[in-house]
Amino acid sequence: MPYLPTAQSFLEQSRLLISARPTTTRITTKYTLPKTSPPDPSKSKSPPPPSSEPSQPHQPQPPKATLTLKTYDPISGTCLKYETDKAAEVGRLIAALGSCGRVMAALPAKEEAVDEGAMEVDAPVKEDAEGKAKAVPKEKELKGGQGQGQHKGGEKGGGGGGGGKKKKGKK
Amino acid sequence: MATGHLSTDEFLIRLATLFESRRSVNHGSVFLTQKRLSPHDLPKAATDTPLPPSSPFPDLHPPHPLPILIRATNGKSKDKRKDKIKLSTVIQADELEGFFMRYADVCKAGMSGLKKRDRSGRKAKGKAKKKKGASGGGVEGEKKG
Repeated sequence: MPYLPTAQSFLEQSRLLISARPTTTRITTKYTLPKTSPPDPSKSKSPPPPSSEPSQPHQPQPPKATLTLKTYDPISGTCLKYETDKAAEVGRLIAALGSCGRVMAALPAKEEAVDEGAMEVDAPVKEDAEGKAKAVPKEKELKGGQGQGQHKGGEKGGGGGGGGKKKKGKK
Repeated sequence: MATGHLSTDEFLIRLATLFESRRSVNHGSVFLTQKRLSPHDLPKAATDTPLPPSSPFPDLHPPHPLPILIRATNGKSKDKRKDKIKLSTVIQADELEGFFMRYADVCKAGMSGLKKRDRSGRKAKGKAKKKKGASGGGVEGEKKG
């Protein structure tokens, strides 16, 4: 049961698995809140150092919940996993589940303008996974690439200029 | 599952309460599953025409879009089965987009235990950079002097 390092690679692999086995593949999203109370010493595997517990007042912190995504095909036994604890990723992951749902429902792949704007990294993944044989996205890719390049250049230039001005002001 | 599927609205409302119950206890899990609702899962009346095995993988290119089955449980099983909450709903292909928008909102609201985006770290970094820059300038000045 491999955990994939990034959400992007997880989604890419999941899309490939779903498009290969659309009927049997399922995506399970597990949201887990761990127990907040200190674990029973009888239950825990290793005895916690008793001296460190009172000295570290970590109790008021909110519990660290985790979100685990699992794409599993019981027929081939393929299992892909991704785990995160960042709230910022939830919206994007659910949106990606929606686009995976489109593949499951055997709907044609759809270009999502929102995704491209918000996460430019996502765009090439989709094209890889869904539009393999289609040559149409190429143009888009090129345009996207140029756009990104310009953006980066602009940012770099701006940043450099700002830095220079600051230095001059200080001296 | 014999009780049948909920409507989309009902499902989302009950899912929100499921998340809320986890939050009040401050412990537990919510499992969400999505899969294709294949014709085999449908009652027999819905599949009056048997699927001809014309191709080795007839499910790869179905003649029409298939609905998606969404399930949600609190993961209680075995000896705690009586506490188990099971929700399910069927989303037709043309309703997918709208459903997932609302589903994402419910999930974002419900998964409140996850780490918020840490903005304090970025601020600290910025300060550190400024300090570094200042000290660097100072060193340069000293050298020049």
